[in-house]
Amino acid sequence: MKKIGIIIDKYHLKYKVSEFLKYLRSKADIKIYTEETFLLESSKKDFDENLFFVKGKGDLILALINLIENLTNIPVINSYKGNWLAINRFLNSVVLRRIGIPIPDFSLNPKGSIPPFSDYIIKNIIDQKNYKFKPIVHKENGRLQVADERALNEVDKVDPKYNYLYYQKFIKSKWEYKIYGIGDEIYFYKQIPILINPNKTESRREIERNPELEEYCYKAMEEMDLKLTSLDFLKSKDQFFLTDINCTPNFNYIKNGPKIVADFLLNQAKI
Amino acid sequence: MKIGILSKRKTMFTGKLKENLENRGFTVKIYTLENLIINENLLNNDFYILKSKNLFFLYAGYYLEANDIPVIPKPEVSFIQKNRIHSNFLMKKIGILTPEIYLGTLETFRSELSEYPYILKPIMGSGSKGVKIIRSNEDFKMVNDKILYLEKYIKGVHYNVYFIDDSICTLIKPPLSDEHVEMKKIDTPDDVEKLIKKWKSYFNGDVLFGHLDIVREEFSDKLYVVDPGSFPEFTNWKCIGSPVDKICNIILNQVEMTRSQNST
Repeated sequence: MKKIGIIIDKYHLKYKVSEFLKYLRSKADIKIYTEETFLLESSKKDFDENLFFVKGKGDLILALINLIENLTNIPVINSYKGNWLAINRFLNSVVLRRIGIPIPDFSLNPKGSIPPFSDYIIKNIIDQKNYKFKPIVHKENGRLQVADERALNEVDKVDPKYNYLYYQKFIKSKWEYKIYGIGDEIYFYKQIPILINPNKTESRREIERNPELEEYCYKAMEEMDLKLTSLDFLKSKDQFFLTDINCTPNFNYIKNGPKIVADFLLNQAKI
Repeated sequence: MKIGILSKRKTMFTGKLKENLENRGFTVKIYTLENLIINENLLNNDFYILKSKNLFFLYAGYYLEANDIPVIPKPEVSFIQKNRIHSNFLMKKIGILTPEIYLGTLETFRSELSEYPYILKPIMGSGSKGVKIIRSNEDFKMVNDKILYLEKYIKGVHYNVYFIDDSICTLIKPPLSDEHVEMKKIDTPDDVEKLIKKWKSYFNGDVLFGHLDIVREEFSDKLYVVDPGSFPEFTNWKCIGSPVDKICNIILNQVEMTRSQNST
């Protein structure tokens, strides 16, 4: 039987993977490494797993991936590079724009410095914690400014994490397109943007394959070394814009998602 | 030629770099966290010196490189040395001894660690900032649920070893002290020289200056690297030549080489 290590945090373990684990346990030996209770020791690298699967983005999780990649030959999905780029919003914007994927204009400014575009959305710079997008919308003189509460909290605290804000040019779009990449398989959905309808699942529907979005998804996965991802696109004047990329997608939204992901991992795990 | 320097301060070594380069006829602008805005306005300079490794300077470095503006030292090389986990595993991979490291929550450490002492360090950082010795469970006084980083404490002689090109300057320093305390210069031992060469050779020409904090373990006489640094202040450089002059020469040569590579 194949052995699969699951590197995860308590939040994802409690809320996001029960069906996935139930299925995977029927097919493989599973060992769970939970960030909040695991002691990482650099001298202990005698893992006997055939593959590791990552569901979380915390510091210990990143360190454990780094250790496995540097000091063993066991494959990890997703890789350190993929996770690191995905959580650093500015870096993935730079990398993906360079390979030709359309990204809305963006700027990293110290707090108080105005970005070079009038309508914008402020997003968190490092997307590492498990909390939801909480938009704060402000309209003035025809200009639209949206801020993610998380991003503002990170610079407004007594002991701020940093003094910068990530500004992304606001893209007005009727639909938000959610594209999931699982290995070579791409899944296409759309929903009403969360700013219009906060209940994102209410309007979510599967859509037909879109070759343009498919190409962007493959390119992004290759460049960022992601085997499993979800991408968010908005569309304005027939042009798609990639607004977010995620290294720990919620595959429960895909029909049979837990089984599809588990089967993909089993296929990737070589004895 | 217009040069940008990405640095947390305008004084000290950064100020000397600016003065040296301006004396050579270049236009130099220093970007600190007060005035750094990372967008296309940065592309107005011909190249950048990445003096500090704060995350936002690294972001700026990656952004500039992606837009074909040379950055020296390379952001990736600086990042590896800034992230203690990354540098520790990398050194282990290339056969350099480093202390064993531990990551976990306070609760995990309290229940599972016993072989004190350890050194508590920030994951992202260099030098002695935020570094604390943990001699027993009692020393974990902070209350939080963060992931903490510990290193096994190596008892022995502490060296601060600067290198610029082929020059190596070795000093004995008090344990856990920063770069600026008074240190005693010694002749560079052969094994220290070999260690510096091994570290530099891994980067294949991308690391031409920097420093390593090294401990010679008392009972084994083995050398452990406890911290790498990509761009020290060279406060204790007590060897031949001016570090500012030498480093400006190296940077200008590297920019020239990068430009000729790009043009072919």
